Amino acid sequence: MSKRQLAMVMDLNKCIGCQTCTVACKTQWTNRNGREYMYWNNVETYPGKGYPKNWMELGGGFDASGDLLEGVVPNLEADYGVPWDYNYESLALGETMTPNVEPTWGPNWDEDVGAGAFPNDNYFFYIPRICNHCTNPGCLSACPRDAIFKRDQDGVVLVDLDRCQGYRFCIAGCPYKKIYFNPKISKSEKCILCFPRIEKGLPPACAQQCVGRIRFVGFLDDEDSQVHKLVNKYKVALPLRSDYGTQPNVYYIPPTEAPAKFDAEGRIIEGSNRIPAEELEKLFGKEVHGVVKTIKSEIEKRKATGKSEILDLLIAYQHSEMFRLDNNYYNGIAKSKGLSAVAPVDTRYVKGLNTKTVSHFSTHANTGGGHH
Amino acid sequence: MKKNKLSKVFGLSLLALTSSGLFAENIVAMKINDSIAGIKDDSELWANAKEVQIKLYSQTTVTMNDKITNDKNSDVNSYKVAKIKALYNDNNEVAFLIRWKDGTKSVQEGYKTDSYGDGFAVQFPTNFSDASKLPYIGMGSEGREVLVHLQKAVPNVYEPNGNGNVELQIGRKNTNYFNEELKQFDDEVKKLAKVDYQKSFVSAGFRSMTEIKDGSTKADMTMIYNMNHGCWKGIVSRNMKDEYIDLNKSSFPIAIAVWDGDKNNRDGTKLLSSWQTVSLSGREGGEALVSEVSKTVEGNLTNGKAQFEANCASCHITSEMKSAPQYMAPELTNIGGYSTLAYIRESIIDPNAVIVPGYNRNAHKNFEWYQVVDGKRNSAMPSFNWLEESVINDIVSYVQTLKAQEEKK
Repeated sequence: MSKRQLAMVMDLNKCIGCQTCTVACKTQWTNRNGREYMYWNNVETYPGKGYPKNWMELGGGFDASGDLLEGVVPNLEADYGVPWDYNYESLALGETMTPNVEPTWGPNWDEDVGAGAFPNDNYFFYIPRICNHCTNPGCLSACPRDAIFKRDQDGVVLVDLDRCQGYRFCIAGCPYKKIYFNPKISKSEKCILCFPRIEKGLPPACAQQCVGRIRFVGFLDDEDSQVHKLVNKYKVALPLRSDYGTQPNVYYIPPTEAPAKFDAEGRIIEGSNRIPAEELEKLFGKEVHGVVKTIKSEIEKRKATGKSEILDLLIAYQHSEMFRLDNNYYNGIAKSKGLSAVAPVDTRYVKGLNTKTVSHFSTHANTGGGHH
Repeated sequence: MKKNKLSKVFGLSLLALTSSGLFAENIVAMKINDSIAGIKDDSELWANAKEVQIKLYSQTTVTMNDKITNDKNSDVNSYKVAKIKALYNDNNEVAFLIRWKDGTKSVQEGYKTDSYGDGFAVQFPTNFSDASKLPYIGMGSEGREVLVHLQKAVPNVYEPNGNGNVELQIGRKNTNYFNEELKQFDDEVKKLAKVDYQKSFVSAGFRSMTEIKDGSTKADMTMIYNMNHGCWKGIVSRNMKDEYIDLNKSSFPIAIAVWDGDKNNRDGTKLLSSWQTVSLSGREGGEALVSEVSKTVEGNLTNGKAQFEANCASCHITSEMKSAPQYMAPELTNIGGYSTLAYIRESIIDPNAVIVPGYNRNAHKNFEWYQVVDGKRNSAMPSFNWLEESVINDIVSYVQTLKAQEEKK
């Protein structure tokens, strides 16, 4: 177990499925060099098959006694879908637009499909997924070369590409299928939680670009961090499929707010919720029912009194209040290793357990503003 | 009742086997005067070298976590035969020609996530001055390192090479080039692509294998597939001595492994031989190593089996005895196929001498194969040195019979 754990909380009530996070990640990391098919960040529609197709059925993770379970390495054509492109350059010559490979599956293939009968009780919601940087990672446990490690300083799970031999047992071992094989270099690659950005005071690209402001990033042991409050203090953020036994560190505010169902005559069924409670329980465990209650009662409390710290947190009035990246902490580590300190390239998000001095206003003065 | 009958039949067939003397034959490296660096498979120099057959057994010590791979490799009860020839000269060069059957040529190629290449490897101990204390066959052990040369069947692969030419490591569509310039870019990238997947490793047990990248050890390796015979030929040539190994003796040990890409073989899912011996023709004094490595013992198999069941089977699984928990200890179905007598005996008497590191330490936490005390590994297995010598002999002779008995079809 790492000394500290950087975590992310995603508020599914606010996710609009715009894929800005997906694009932010892709252009930053995965649009080249054999990573074209990889989505370190993707947003899938639930219910749906997801990416890779049916990832929840592909094995990996641990059984109740803590033994790593068998899994499957997905097939590019059948399970991920070969990335395709169009003959744009030939359109001017009068050719018809055609893809270069027959599309079979892709990262948002079944977007917005959902389940249920329209218009009475159909429903869907979005689940953005990145590597969960698990406390007990399935990928790390499966590696026969000890090529995967969990950073002591922040729990980020990384592949040592020098040791990796491309065996792909990690892919079978990860129940979220969030580690990918790069066929060009014959090695496994995965979400790195944008650690080079984090160390310089920038949130992960997916989190910073999120237009819905659904993503909070901070250290779990930092009691002033949003993630600590949402996960540990108010217990309204839950890990996805914790039954896989990997102890994920990406947490979700479950989608508690959905429209009511209609009856046969098209009238609203008061007090109903389109998202079946058992589906939420499958994804987030039994604790989800308590979370739904808490959020609902907070909304009522806010209506009655105008006050609710949970809602204040979730609304995220200031973008800079969503991230506590603790630059002094990383600099302390750099110093202890005799490395030069990493100056933040953007001081708006530089605060944390070990970084208390930066005030909101001086931050703005330093950076010449910054959007809210 | 049924079990009794079975074990009787089993015991009988074992007796028949031991008496037929199907034990590993020594490989004699023929001395030649020509240079053999980079020797080809069709060189006439091979003509007079004697070909020796060695058996390759499915590695069953650990089971990996890939379901499709495990399904494809469920037959662990048959072995594959490899045929090997060896040459050497006074110019410090040695070469091996290895042939093995593989009905499908598999090359890990293209933009695929679940394709695997065929491959082969040769393994040498870094020290074999005491032939009774050779490294563990599965990539060595602490204090007993091995050198491994690996060749895989792959097409061009491009690895970031540390030369700083990052401008060539982007997708062609991310460049600013068009037409001729784009073609030039493609050519440059192609030039950087490695046309070979050949690696050398030094290793002291599972998980410790580390690639030697500084060129301090070198081997020429090629793989040629013969479509008509459904057979691979692998050639290895190298200097007998470098800073890792010194084969320039009268005899030395070698071990071989092959991977079948069609069966998703890679890493531990492979077929491997026991330590074999190579003696250099015309040199005296290599017999001690040869006889130590090929030594067998003939004890009472019926008692050996009973003693194994009583003392070993509560932790170790074999193809016959499956009462032990799955990940508790090395699986021994083919242990007799890839172990020397000395290793089996040593493991029983002094389990700390060679500790099989086993699974990733995080994969099966309930069953640690060793504990680390003051930086030193202590085997979870207790010593059985309190058993009578004759009982140990019986167990060892039984364990030697634990291996696939039929050749793969």
